[in-house]
Amino acid sequence: MLLLKSTKSMHFNHWAKNFISRKSLCNRVSLLLVLIFVSIQTYAQVTISAKNISLDQAFDQLSNQTGYTFFYNNKDIRKLGKVDVAIKNASLETAMGQLLKGLPLNWHIVDKTVVIRATTPTHVQDTVREISGIVRNKLNEPLPRVSIRVVNEVYQTNNEGEFKLKITDEDAPISFSFIGYQSATYRVSQARNGKLNVVLDDAKIGLNEVVVNGYQEIHRDNYTGTAVVVSGERLKELSPQNVLQGLQVVDPSFKILNNNFNGSNPNSMPVINVRGSSALPTGSDGILRRDNITSSVNLPAFILDGYEVSLEKVIDLDMNRIASVTLLKDAAATAIYGSRAANGVLVITTKVPANGKLQVTYNHETNINGPDLTDYHVLNASQKLQYEQQAGVYDGVQQKVPQDALDELYYKKLMNVVGGVNTYWLSQPLRTAVGQKHGVYLQGGEEHFRYGIDLRYQTRPGVMKGSSRDQYSGGMNFSYNLSNRIKFQNELTITQVKAKESPYGSFADYVKTNPYYRMTDDEGMTIRELETWSDRNGDGGAYQYDHVLSALYNSTLSSFNNNNYAEIIDNFAAEFEVTKGLRIRGQMSLTSRQTNGDNFLSPLANQFYFYAASETDQKGSYTSNRTKETYWDGNIRLNYVKQLHDHSINLVAGANIRTELSDYASFTAVGFPNDRFTSVGFAKGYAENARPSSNIEKSRLFGDFVSTNYSYKDRYLMDATVRTDGSSKFGTDKRLAPFWSLGVGWNLHKEAWFNNTAISQLRLRFTTGLTGSVQFSPYLSRTTYTYDQTNWYSSGIGATVDNYGNKNLGWQKTRSTDLGFDLGLFNDRIFLSPRVYYKLTKDLLADISIAPSTGFSSYKENLGDMENRGIELSLRAVVVQNKEWSVNVYANLVHNTNKIVRISNSLEAYNNKVNQEQANNDKYKGVPLLRYKEGQSYDAIYAVRSLGIDPQNGKEIFVKQNGTLTYQWDARDVRVVGDATPFAQGSFGGTFHYRKFMMSVNFQTEFGGDMYNQTLVDRVENANPRYNVDSRVFAEKWKQPGDKTFYKSITDWGQTQVSSRFIQPNNVLSLQSIYCSYDLRVTKRMVRLGMTANDILRWSSVEQERGIDYPFARSITFSLQAQF
Amino acid sequence: MRLFITTLILTLTFTSCKKWLDIQPESEISDEVLYSTEEGFQEALVGVYTKCSQEQLYGKELTVGTPEVLAQNYTLTDNDKYNYLKTSKYVYTDADFINRKDQIWVGLYNAIANCNLLLANIDSKRKLFTGNNYALIKGEALALRAYLHFDLLRMFAPVTATATGIPYVTKYSKDITPMSTVGAVLDSAINDLTKAKELLTIDPILSASYVIGYPTEKDTTLNTEESSPQLFLQNRRHRLNYYAVCGTLARVYLYKNDKANALTNALEVINSHKFPWTNNSDFLAVDDDKKDRILYKELLFGWYIPTMATTYKNSFFLISTSGIHLSEYAGQSIYETGGAGADDLRYKEWLVSSSGTAGNTLNVVKYLHNTDNTADDANLHYMMAPAIRLSEMYYIAAECSNNADYLNTVRTHRGIGSPVTGDLITELVKECRKEWYAEGQIFYMYKRLNHDIINQNGGSIPASDKIFVLPLPNDEILYGGR
Repeated sequence: MLLLKSTKSMHFNHWAKNFISRKSLCNRVSLLLVLIFVSIQTYAQVTISAKNISLDQAFDQLSNQTGYTFFYNNKDIRKLGKVDVAIKNASLETAMGQLLKGLPLNWHIVDKTVVIRATTPTHVQDTVREISGIVRNKLNEPLPRVSIRVVNEVYQTNNEGEFKLKITDEDAPISFSFIGYQSATYRVSQARNGKLNVVLDDAKIGLNEVVVNGYQEIHRDNYTGTAVVVSGERLKELSPQNVLQGLQVVDPSFKILNNNFNGSNPNSMPVINVRGSSALPTGSDGILRRDNITSSVNLPAFILDGYEVSLEKVIDLDMNRIASVTLLKDAAATAIYGSRAANGVLVITTKVPANGKLQVTYNHETNINGPDLTDYHVLNASQKLQYEQQAGVYDGVQQKVPQDALDELYYKKLMNVVGGVNTYWLSQPLRTAVGQKHGVYLQGGEEHFRYGIDLRYQTRPGVMKGSSRDQYSGGMNFSYNLSNRIKFQNELTITQVKAKESPYGSFADYVKTNPYYRMTDDEGMTIRELETWSDRNGDGGAYQYDHVLSALYNSTLSSFNNNNYAEIIDNFAAEFEVTKGLRIRGQMSLTSRQTNGDNFLSPLANQFYFYAASETDQKGSYTSNRTKETYWDGNIRLNYVKQLHDHSINLVAGANIRTELSDYASFTAVGFPNDRFTSVGFAKGYAENARPSSNIEKSRLFGDFVSTNYSYKDRYLMDATVRTDGSSKFGTDKRLAPFWSLGVGWNLHKEAWFNNTAISQLRLRFTTGLTGSVQFSPYLSRTTYTYDQTNWYSSGIGATVDNYGNKNLGWQKTRSTDLGFDLGLFNDRIFLSPRVYYKLTKDLLADISIAPSTGFSSYKENLGDMENRGIELSLRAVVVQNKEWSVNVYANLVHNTNKIVRISNSLEAYNNKVNQEQANNDKYKGVPLLRYKEGQSYDAIYAVRSLGIDPQNGKEIFVKQNGTLTYQWDARDVRVVGDATPFAQGSFGGTFHYRKFMMSVNFQTEFGGDMYNQTLVDRVENANPRYNVDSRVFAEKWKQPGDKTFYKSITDWGQTQVSSRFIQPNNVLSLQSIYCSYDLRVTKRMVRLGMTANDILRWSSVEQERGIDYPFARSITFSLQAQF
Repeated sequence: MRLFITTLILTLTFTSCKKWLDIQPESEISDEVLYSTEEGFQEALVGVYTKCSQEQLYGKELTVGTPEVLAQNYTLTDNDKYNYLKTSKYVYTDADFINRKDQIWVGLYNAIANCNLLLANIDSKRKLFTGNNYALIKGEALALRAYLHFDLLRMFAPVTATATGIPYVTKYSKDITPMSTVGAVLDSAINDLTKAKELLTIDPILSASYVIGYPTEKDTTLNTEESSPQLFLQNRRHRLNYYAVCGTLARVYLYKNDKANALTNALEVINSHKFPWTNNSDFLAVDDDKKDRILYKELLFGWYIPTMATTYKNSFFLISTSGIHLSEYAGQSIYETGGAGADDLRYKEWLVSSSGTAGNTLNVVKYLHNTDNTADDANLHYMMAPAIRLSEMYYIAAECSNNADYLNTVRTHRGIGSPVTGDLITELVKECRKEWYAEGQIFYMYKRLNHDIINQNGGSIPASDKIFVLPLPNDEILYGGR
């Protein structure tokens, strides 16, 4: 810290003064140490000749000639006025002697530094100045908890954004930093009458200084954990509709798994994992399709303002209320959440009201969604008929139906085609959806009492007609500040969400409807039965009929499927500042939510078309379900922040409790008289043998923790956390789970010897720790009984054991290790932070098969290991930055490999079952299914290896396990033929500012993975010619010996079985978002206009139909933010 | 110091926390909650019976299914609606057979686990019980455990006492119980049954005021089976009562070839005169509501299976060739209608003839039961799966004392006037096949005696352990290390 160039920088002066005047023990020691190393060598010759120059000018010259650093106090020097010097070819020592002759200054040479000090202490007393002020953002909103650094002192603004500092050094820089904003440095001189007004600019790409982990705020430079902080503003730029979409761009290791079925359905909940999967979907009963995994076992924990919330809550959150989002990834960052931490933690903080005059902010968004059908290439009417003809649909021999009947059928259709019927069914259930959002936020108050009120109305219509997710919410936030030491804060939020599913049903039904059908009859009524195909079961066999019902007909009925919830959250916090730096905070949050689901199917719906006459009174159904959820979440914590000489400690200790209660009940009534009366009271009764069902789940969690962030001289960093969790989900014999983490870091750039102008920041970090996951239903560890209500015995009702309750059931343990460095170049204009991580999850929850003589075929046990390793790269650069304009670019890249290390024996049984289903069940023959094998990735694609189609006979050639070739598909030859995990995925883009105009462009990419092209299997090779198909059906199929084709023989009508033939490399590049904004100032009022376009362009190496049940969408959002 | 205090606080909070973290499920019942009341124990005990009366177990499969098929009691054709044809040919690799047999193994052991969990809790909760319920419940649970193990043994193990049998599981645990020899299993069963017998000396069925009769009986002195104010104490014969335990003991002793003890127990039942022979007027009644097809009053024990009535009537024993049936020839050969059995009431009442393209067939109406709830149409009795009959006590007595009189007594009640001549065992086997038709017992008798199985044509299939011993389920071999 003593090595400084002899420039008259503020730092220099500051350090020098500190060095000399401070009587701290520590400094004396260091001075002593330094003096020991005084060198007595002869030095380079110097020449200096000038008249009437100031001493510091003279030192400058000497410094330039020798390369020595001059170390002095400006005040001491300045008052000595100017001198004349004339020194020629003298040693530095001689020169100094001459120069300082007769002046009240002493000097030594310490190493390569010249230390100059006054002979008599010139410091009488530091003048202490008090500076106060307020920190605001560009919207003039005060910013609370902004951290302020003056030399070694750390301050914070209070909840009103106000601060008060004691400054001893006129020239000391005062730096302000706050998450989501660019740091700013001010000087005392900028203060007017002791008042300093600070305005912080919104952060550019992630230049954030403080990490919020939900319990404490830690200065980023001193933190060893891996955390990604992103401001609410930035997330809005990336995706104004969905917090999580934007987060995926900021950090690709936060991955939203593609679900090709649900597309852009606003009501479907995404499946997310952070740094790879760490658990297997539980329940090995059902067969799992690789492309439709909906299990939520890898979900990160979501923490909103200190309490845990559901994924649904995050999706429905008003984005304008978000101040920042922090994604905690490694053990050092997440261990404070113990048993909920293994899959990462997402900490969301919302904005708090600031004081001042009544301020009104109005937000408006108009969101336009258009369906994206670029991946659909279906045949038009004439092509379709032509294809049918070619495929032999009208071939009497093939269909075993008299030729004249088929001819009649054909010409009827031809009549339609020629008559101009060419219905584009795909567009029927779709629309361009326009959603709106209005948000009003009022805030105001004075020093002691402040309030904020927010109201929101938002509609989120989906691109399928009738589907929507509308939100209304209101909130009240007030805080009471008693003598600055005791604070109370209360936030009440009421949210109402109305979710509607489209009455049009699955989009797939429209894709496969033939274009030569008319939608309506001559009267304009929607046609219900479009066609009845007939064929025969063998020659002269019985006729079989295939009725084609119009999916559109269902939409004309009064069926509905709604799911609404109303939620009240109250969050109360009290804080007491015991002494400076020591605060106690208690927080209590209550969430109460009631969800009602109502699903009415009209008796006229196609689902009941085939009911027998005797079941007429069973048509129509109404399923009603309701869930009541109550969550209590409380925590109490002690925060201690202290800077003691070179030691900086940020400690938090606390405890939290949480209780969850969810009470679900459901029943289905059937038999409705007609389409008009939809109330459940019109039902005839329950379905036969049906009864109401209910499920009550209760769980409790208790945890206490201590976490410390410690740094020595800002160079050596350490984070350590210990947490113990108790959960009611654990078995009675394993109630307590210990978790821990340790992180160490080294700020190399702060080392004295580090002397590199190009590198402005270099920090090494290493963290390791153990975290857990308990995402399983609450009573797995218990032996439970059920009553057999349907079968009473003559002497009473019987209760039987359901499962073997494992009292030793525990949590999944994830041991993670993280290594990385942060490198800032050229004053942090280029910032690079690579990470390497290794995650080993042990004790996966699994079914263990046991000898059935125990009475059970399996029980739950912690068995199975899974491994994830990966590399994360993040690069950002400030290309241009000046007053007028700036350009920033960034790129993130993530590589993750997953390996199943150990699995339980029941998964073997599952694999066998999958093999059987794959071989025999038509539904699964052409679909890759999930299998688990030790040593393989969870994302591996299992199929039989194929060499393609034999040109000789049009049959597919398979490779058996032993390498021999065969035409026979055999489940035993199924092996790993690909891996869906991309080699890397990432995002890149840039932000451009010009005055008040801003634009950002963001791309997402993934490459190096494999994909099984389901469209080629289902819609080309196995296409059913009676339904509409992909236009690639006209592609060459094998017809005669010698044809080299991708597709099998045209005469082969069998179901293609899953093989490597359809595996294609999957490389994707998509333009995730473009955002533009412009700030207007209309008579002191801030108005920001913005526009975001999402999912505009997409390039993929796999041409596959996307959005099977619900298409994907492109969207544009226009936003306006005004403040009065 | 701080660390010490923190640790102390943590320890203290956690000791009180343990209780707080102990949450009882509400939409399911945890074992702790169930076993906190007497009703809970009653429900858990009844649960074992409902479990056993399921279709895969005594409700259908073990009564009229696999054992009867193996004993060649049905005529099976290629129109094999229930996939029993391969089973009847002893193809033990057939997927349907494996599935059914495995379900029996898993189901019975699950019922045993239910007994074991109940037994593990009952002694520590003895204070909860009123009246004699402690002894009654514990006695029945022990008896059930023995009964179910004994049936598993009869299916999955050879008869030889020294041969490897099955695991006799007495603990509720996920740990594997080692295999016992056949002899050891029998001894364990006898041990449990003996204890049960001691406990059940308080059984209401032993009291003179407990009168066995038909539930439809209007005269309350002729049937007191349902007169107990406690539902739990009614219909003792639907559960393992004192006499049922005696009967089971007689069976097990006989299987062990301990004839003296078998006789003692059989005679205890016979001499109690608790179980009256069925009146011909009831057996032969024409009106459904006055008819007793299963000789209800002679049942020492049977499974209550009202939910099965429809299945039996409308599908399994459907009166048509698509239902399980037997050819007229086979039926006549079983009941020796050409000889001594010309007047056998059972043949007349249990089998009805219908003509078809391939000759006359006989449909099984033994279980024909009116499912309508209207009193006018109901039978005299409940829909039951017979488990132990009074007649079996006579058969055991006959075999153990080598006295044909016992056998003749039964025959007289069945309308066969002539006493048996010739080899007692041969006659006994024939008689048992008639009496136990579609009750799932005769196969075990063939096995115990290593007797050839008489097929549909009157020919015989040589006795062999390959037939008599059903293979263990694969899962048991794989995960149990058998």
